[in-house]
Amino acid sequence: MKKHILAVDDEQAIRDLLQESLTLSGYRVSTAATLDEARKIARADRPDLVILDVQFEECDGFVLIDEFKKLCPDSPILLLTGIIFGDGAARQAIEKKVACYLDKTVPLSRILDEVRRLIGYSETPATGK
Amino acid sequence: MNENIEKRLAGIFILMLVILAGVAGLAVSTIRKSADKSDWVNLTHDIILGANSATALLHAGDASMHAYLLTGDRRDQENYRDAYRAMVNQLDATVGKTRSDPYRNDFLSLTNLIGRRINYARNLVQAREQGGEDAARQLAQTHPAGSSTGDIDRLTALINEHQQSLLRQRDHEAWVQARNTTRVIAICVLINFALLLLAGLLIRDDLASRRIAATAMSEANACLEAKVRERTAELLAANQSLVKENLERRWSWESLDHQFRYNQLIVNAISEMVFVVSKALNVTRVNPAVTHATQWESQDLVSQSLDRVLQVPAPATPNPILSALNEGRELQEYPAVVIAKSGAAIPVRFNLVPLRDENKVVGGVVTARPRLDAPPAGLPGSSKPASKP
Repeated sequence: MKKHILAVDDEQAIRDLLQESLTLSGYRVSTAATLDEARKIARADRPDLVILDVQFEECDGFVLIDEFKKLCPDSPILLLTGIIFGDGAARQAIEKKVACYLDKTVPLSRILDEVRRLIGYSETPATGK
Repeated sequence: MNENIEKRLAGIFILMLVILAGVAGLAVSTIRKSADKSDWVNLTHDIILGANSATALLHAGDASMHAYLLTGDRRDQENYRDAYRAMVNQLDATVGKTRSDPYRNDFLSLTNLIGRRINYARNLVQAREQGGEDAARQLAQTHPAGSSTGDIDRLTALINEHQQSLLRQRDHEAWVQARNTTRVIAICVLINFALLLLAGLLIRDDLASRRIAATAMSEANACLEAKVRERTAELLAANQSLVKENLERRWSWESLDHQFRYNQLIVNAISEMVFVVSKALNVTRVNPAVTHATQWESQDLVSQSLDRVLQVPAPATPNPILSALNEGRELQEYPAVVIAKSGAAIPVRFNLVPLRDENKVVGGVVTARPRLDAPPAGLPGSSKPASKP
């Protein structure tokens, strides 16, 4: 059974790239452009991992973090955003809320490494939950 | 099949056919000879029977003739005449069958003896009819028989002996022919079996070589398939690597583009006028607040000297901004005027922060905001220079 990843981002190009790359690595990927869409998908097909952007038109990702913690308490959240929070205390504060925080400027391979660290390979039992 | 083996097999089968044809011809010839021989044997037996029958009829005729000589009975006369007639017919028929007989002379001699015997009998009968029984007896006593029945019997026995010897000779020849035919057929059958064996060996060798070739081809195919699989796997891996690299490049571009747009948004959202300058104080970038406050468009200012739009009221030498950049220090709340496109001077306070790249000052960022405490200024030079904080 392939592991399910939900990628939430308002940019089509970013969603497409994440879907293509994670699918190539053996994961089953759903994408959502809005928070409402992400909520619907999460309720219908519980994800093993949520990749979340912060900036959305209707709300921000921090709200969704709290919602997902209630909706899918076992699913780790990887925060992937272009907003630089800087190093040090600010970053640590963010990382306390999610399983992992990455800047969008990191290479895709780094994102895949973190995904594997959090939920393992697709065909093997998850180790990061 | 190997061309050489094909030729050999064709040769073997042609040779076998030739041998079979020879055997068939020999068999037909033997059968024909046997039939001929059977006819000859029948003829020979017929000749023997004919000779014996003629002799028997002669004796029967003689007996009837002697009875007639004694009795004068016409019935006896008829009997000997019938017997002699039948004997002559039998003898003629038998002699006619001896045209190719090597002992034909025997029959001619027999014919001669029987002819003399018949003449003798005719004389006796004539003497009987003319002089009576005594005359016939006297003739029989005084006139020696042309040929005695003993001579005829001996000749007949000789004829039998000769014909029997011919039969024995023919039997021996038939036995020799049968033996030779049997030997020839046996030899031909053996040769054919040997040729079949040779053909079988050739076919076996060919099949073995075919199996070896098939095995070699199978191994070659397996090797080729393994290489193709290996190469396919390499190409697949290379393709996946290329796909990943491509994805990585696209991701890098998208993320940097996103970052750039986000930074641009931040800069554009600043309400203070922002001038980015090179180390020689040429403008490289302004934010929309500059255009909003001065009506200068970005293209009017970029690559122009900062003095065109931002002037320190009290000219100082060297320029304090240039000095600060050269020394790598900041300026805080420094008074100046911004010259609008209309020529109006806007009193401002500005900050200067040097831009550092790897600890080297490569330019600076000047942020200016209007001084709310200053009266509206006139043209450049008309305003009073602000004091340095």
